[in-house]
Amino acid sequence: MTGLKRVMTLGAWLNLYFFWEKKWFFIAMIIGAFMLHMPLPQGLSPEGLIILTMSVVSVILFVTEPVPLPTVALLIIIGQVVLMGHDSSEVAKSLVTDSVLFIAGSLMLAVAVVKQKLDKRIAWLIVRMTGTKTWRVCFGITVVSGLLASFVGEHTVAAMMLPVGITLISLTSDDPKKVRNLAAVLLFSIAYGASVAGIGTPSGGARNAIMIGYWKEFFFDPTNPETFKFIVSYVDWMIHAYPMFLIQVPFVTIILFWTFRPEYRDLSRAVVKLRKMIEEEGPMKAADWMSILIFFLVLLGWVLISGEIGMGTVAVAGAAMFLVAGLVRWEDINSGVNWGVILLYAAAISLGLQMKETGAALWVAEAFLDTLAPFGASEGFGLWAAVSVLTTGVTNTMSNGAAVAVLGPIVLKMSVVANESPIILGYITAISSSFAYLTVVGTPACTIVYASGYLKTTDFLKVGWKMAIASTIIMLVAAKVYWPLLGV
Amino acid sequence: MVEWKGAPGLSDEEITARKEHFRILVCIDGSDECYQSLQYAARLGGGVDADIVLLFVRPVDQGLRSGGLQVRVARENMLKWGLELPGIKYLKKGFDILGELGMMDGEDWSEHVVHTDVDGDPLGDNKTEYVNAKGKMVVLKLKVAPDIATGILEQWELGPYDLILFGTSGRWKGPVRSFWDPAVAQKVAIHAPCSVLVARDLDVGHGHLICTDGSDKAMEMVRRDGEMASHCDYPVSLISVALDVEAEDEAKANVDKAKKVLADMGIEVKETIVKVGNPVDEIIEAGPDYSLIVVAESGKTGLRRFFMGSVAYKVMGNAHNSVMIVR
Repeated sequence: MTGLKRVMTLGAWLNLYFFWEKKWFFIAMIIGAFMLHMPLPQGLSPEGLIILTMSVVSVILFVTEPVPLPTVALLIIIGQVVLMGHDSSEVAKSLVTDSVLFIAGSLMLAVAVVKQKLDKRIAWLIVRMTGTKTWRVCFGITVVSGLLASFVGEHTVAAMMLPVGITLISLTSDDPKKVRNLAAVLLFSIAYGASVAGIGTPSGGARNAIMIGYWKEFFFDPTNPETFKFIVSYVDWMIHAYPMFLIQVPFVTIILFWTFRPEYRDLSRAVVKLRKMIEEEGPMKAADWMSILIFFLVLLGWVLISGEIGMGTVAVAGAAMFLVAGLVRWEDINSGVNWGVILLYAAAISLGLQMKETGAALWVAEAFLDTLAPFGASEGFGLWAAVSVLTTGVTNTMSNGAAVAVLGPIVLKMSVVANESPIILGYITAISSSFAYLTVVGTPACTIVYASGYLKTTDFLKVGWKMAIASTIIMLVAAKVYWPLLGV
Repeated sequence: MVEWKGAPGLSDEEITARKEHFRILVCIDGSDECYQSLQYAARLGGGVDADIVLLFVRPVDQGLRSGGLQVRVARENMLKWGLELPGIKYLKKGFDILGELGMMDGEDWSEHVVHTDVDGDPLGDNKTEYVNAKGKMVVLKLKVAPDIATGILEQWELGPYDLILFGTSGRWKGPVRSFWDPAVAQKVAIHAPCSVLVARDLDVGHGHLICTDGSDKAMEMVRRDGEMASHCDYPVSLISVALDVEAEDEAKANVDKAKKVLADMGIEVKETIVKVGNPVDEIIEAGPDYSLIVVAESGKTGLRRFFMGSVAYKVMGNAHNSVMIVR
């Protein structure tokens, strides 16, 4: 057999399409190999280069998703042991922090809260307060989704409120084509209401907990009282961010009605039918009261004692209480939480901390500031805006927690180099990461309402850019006018 | 065409029956184009007494992108409220269209509902089968899959199809965009082991324009499509394109050869066209006078099709009206 013929047989035998489907994986690996062997850039340590390479490869894999995302977490762990030469037990230890415990605990809580049949009661509460005018119902949905999401996270609220939205739509008309715009305003009221609220408290989203963890890891020094301000408590965060959420709420409704003109101005037909459905439920039962009690205990725990025992512990305790009270089955929690995400965040945070330790974060921060300098964006307000735009861009392509985990170390180092307050830039990064209104994958709430089948991906683009601009302006104004009053 | 090896849970008789029947898969997404293609399938199916399967593919509910909370939690909550899955309404509408066209006439239809569990999704696949006494089938299927193209291709594995129909609006994206995110129809057309029809404003009655280059593959295709078209009384026309003037005689010969083949089968050819120039451009230009452009597949496999891009794919991607690739 000639050589050429042998190659041809081999070509037919290999399933080339496998490589084509996974092309981004191989592209990422080739970029990684290339980066590892390039001459060391000035000012970067060899360890720094390895961590930087791992970060670049991970980001490519996060964005293009050629392999299931938890695979990236596994690769990060392998990389830390094999490339960096760390002890495997040390790497394993570095994976679990309070932030990760919080993410795990709050996801379990989320499933437990959705499984309580409180959504119908909440829906009824909304329409009783707002009446039947479409815009008032939408505003009510946004406010209530927001208030809930600011404490329990946007995915919980989106999962809980989605049936409310769809019921109102389908009770209005059977034909999805006749209620396209109505569906858009109702469903986006849920998704965006929950998204803008996620910034309100540390428990509103994984990204907030990650940022609080970074502040502590990067700047806190028990021997130096000056650095105690970098332990940001639950209440501190709320004072800074909650007003921003409240200001954004009316804008959500205004922007939605400006973009989509609903076919029905009044939903009385749907509301009457909804009332009937809810009356069948009967009065509140003991179990309902019990779940509300646990819910408030968790909130109190976060506000009052999360400083001492950690936010993660409170979240885990809440999940344990729901299980002890028999209000949720473990099987439901087990199938409702995607455990791979927790692994993913753990690895991403661990990589972020390594970025700091090896000096890679500092190097990238300096390089980035040098690029920004010609635009006058290397300090002050210009830098704030640049960080916000960068974060918004990144977060629209990957999950917002991952965006903060990757960008956080770089931004915090930038604040040091540029002599800015790490607290302000940290808030800006964490808050901007919730501006992922443009894509279905950007925020959990968007992904969940998209599952209803009523929305198109282009709807997100149509309304998302207006939301992103409005939110960015509100945040920058708050950073300029409001935060200085708080003395940051 | 790739040999179908049967699917789990089917008896030998069922497998043989499925292989013998002409089976059409119509992909439903709720657009006007998909219902146009369904009407076309119904006429075609009426002519050759085919099985028709309406398929709606729903992306699998997963949680990696929803912040760790599985979308199934939301889905289960929706079911508790008694809400329907997306897609059921679209399938029902398609079924009603078949009824109006008289596909479901006669009273000997039996109904049969089947559910298949799918890992990672609380609802899995669901289908309703209608079978009449002669063994003719109409199936409504709601399927979950990681993405729509994969769902459609998986469906082929479950029962062989002779033709997959698609509705699409507009032309396909350029090579750069499809490197990033190939359109569903494009992905299916490249991978499907059977004939694929991409419908754009498909109106019945203007006949088929069959493209031939004189090769054995093309002649086989002429035979098969001629048969199909004559079942439904669609007029058939032939086109062959020569690359330069010198090859014009050869192109003419190709058309005459195809015409003779059809005449032997008792099919009259409405008109014959011989053009000189770039085959892709000429075929696309001649296309809009007919309901459907029919091209043969040049027998390359998946990746090679993608890289080398035969005339068939270029026509399919860029034509202004409907195109069928026959395999």
